[in-house]
Amino acid sequence: MELAAKQNIDLAKGNHATVVKELGRGGQGIVYLVDVDGKQMALKWYPKPPAGGFYKNLQRNVHDGAPSEAFIWPEDLTVKSNGCFGYLMRLRPEGYSEFGSFLLAKARFKSFDAMFTAAMKICDGFRLLHLHGYSYQDLNDGNFFINPETGDVLICDNDNVMAEGEQSGIMGKARYMAPEVVAGGKPNKYSDRFSLSVLLFMLFFANHPFEGSRVSDCPCMTEDFEKKFYGSEAVFIFDPVNRYNRPVPGKHINAIKRWPIFPKVLKDAFASELSQEKLKNPTKRIIEGEWEKIIARARDELIVCPYCKKETFVDPANGLTECMDCGKKIHATKVLSIAAQPGSRDIQLTPGSRIFIDRDTVPEAAVENDSNGIMVIRNISSEKWTVETPSGKVKLVDPRGIMPAKEGLKICFKVKGSDYKAVIKSN
Amino acid sequence: MSSILDETVEVPRRTMTLFFLVDTSGSMEGKKIGAVNESIQNVLPMIEEISETNPDAAINVAALQFSTGTSWVYDEPKPAQDFVWQDVSADGLTCLGEACEELNSKLSRSGFMKAASGSYAPAIILLSDGEPTDDFDSGLAELKANNWFKSAIKIAIAIGDDADNEKLAQFTGTSEAVFTVHNIDALKKMIRIVVVTSSQVGSKSSAAGDTTKQKQVIEQVQDAQKEEITDAPSSNYDDWN
Repeated sequence: MELAAKQNIDLAKGNHATVVKELGRGGQGIVYLVDVDGKQMALKWYPKPPAGGFYKNLQRNVHDGAPSEAFIWPEDLTVKSNGCFGYLMRLRPEGYSEFGSFLLAKARFKSFDAMFTAAMKICDGFRLLHLHGYSYQDLNDGNFFINPETGDVLICDNDNVMAEGEQSGIMGKARYMAPEVVAGGKPNKYSDRFSLSVLLFMLFFANHPFEGSRVSDCPCMTEDFEKKFYGSEAVFIFDPVNRYNRPVPGKHINAIKRWPIFPKVLKDAFASELSQEKLKNPTKRIIEGEWEKIIARARDELIVCPYCKKETFVDPANGLTECMDCGKKIHATKVLSIAAQPGSRDIQLTPGSRIFIDRDTVPEAAVENDSNGIMVIRNISSEKWTVETPSGKVKLVDPRGIMPAKEGLKICFKVKGSDYKAVIKSN
Repeated sequence: MSSILDETVEVPRRTMTLFFLVDTSGSMEGKKIGAVNESIQNVLPMIEEISETNPDAAINVAALQFSTGTSWVYDEPKPAQDFVWQDVSADGLTCLGEACEELNSKLSRSGFMKAASGSYAPAIILLSDGEPTDDFDSGLAELKANNWFKSAIKIAIAIGDDADNEKLAQFTGTSEAVFTVHNIDALKKMIRIVVVTSSQVGSKSSAAGDTTKQKQVIEQVQDAQKEEITDAPSSNYDDWN
């Protein structure tokens, strides 16, 4: 049963939703714009609801609540009507594009900074989802909306989210499924993690990690071939050992162009996560928190070119690079070395760059030049910094305040109650 | 913005070709062919939308009309937005055997299946209201040996009771993939449902498990049929005249 405009649908909480219009339809259901007590919301309606415990599962998800703000989560259910039902969720705000639009180059990230933010937020969403004991089950390119300017992420289609160990029966798309699921296995948090690696690769490199020459040569991608190329015989296009599925010039243009520019730490992570070993051993795949650390380390290498003011990546060991845009040689003279376990994180300082002290998506410091052209670090956090000078003086840098990027200064940053000790060095 | 991000291009997409095989024999004359013309014209923008927003594959359309002979509406598959449906008229015999041979000749990389980034298996939608008048069996036998045809989604719409459902089932490989309609309204709806469903399922990366894409289309069309098409057989078929 489909719904009509102005139709009233009773909600489980006792009030009702009035249908305004249809917003779209997919394989499982139809999404309507509805009015609930004067507030506009989205209603996903199942004209032919999936069998089994689907309604009950949605009830439980409504009750337990979203793992984080990033989820467009079921907020209430309708009462069943002729066996049909639906759930309410908030509307997607303006300014967000489907992940698919990025793949179709209809939406483009405004900056690498926004791209890193999106990657971190996707990982964080799934970390929290798994932490709450759920698995997503059919992770694919249709599940995210991303703001291309800020990198903010919304995770949608949460109706198949199940408690880990339970099955929604939804199988997802072969191109995004873990090989063991393509082969007929059951999805779980380990297969979610595989899908996450595929999606992250596509976010950074804008091509599919298994679609190289070998897959390209297949004239007709039948269901059997999909099982082979995304399942039993999947080979990463940049696999360090198996070289026979490399990206094809003229076809996999984005991956060929972007692979050389990204930091090694990120490329190594993909080579490892998409290696034959991890394809075949689901439990060896890294957890989301590890991905967040890797992405944060790659983000540390992102600087702003002092000449053309565009983003580029820098060698964290010596601060030397050639701007990938204007080609000029850049030599970052100062580095912020933050104590970390193990060793330290070295962040090269160039005016225009932002510094993330902890591993979330909110920067704590911004590097800039003052009016005399001297490089300074501005405190854009809400906490005071304590700075010790080489001669032993102690200074405080208030929020919005600045300090010179001078060799030998020891800084104690405070972020979310934790102390981070750092020192400025010269290259 | 870094110019590298500015230079991002669309991912290479495979192509899924949607074939219409339209019976334009004399018996289709009048409202039937009128409804087919109108329905295909109306469904083209829907195909375009599915194609435009789908990162897995793009959809191209090809159409073959068959009566005493066969002819392609265009001599190559085209994206839905470039495919201007020219109303076909009905006259002559039902050379479905010849249509099978003609389709077979185009289901090859030297024929219609030469998309640069490769293809997904095609979806083939056959519309007919009568019995084949030529050597259907040998035409079909030839086509059935074609690998593209083997893996294609094949759906037939039988228009009225004179359609040869058995032959249509031989074409699709299963009687479940033959949907019979008995009035103009049901025909229009059925064309839309079959085309939209085949486009959606055929142009997406497949789900794992043993359900084939053809089976998925059949199930979804059956569901939609229950929902939408009230097609009670009537005692006379005056509105076909």
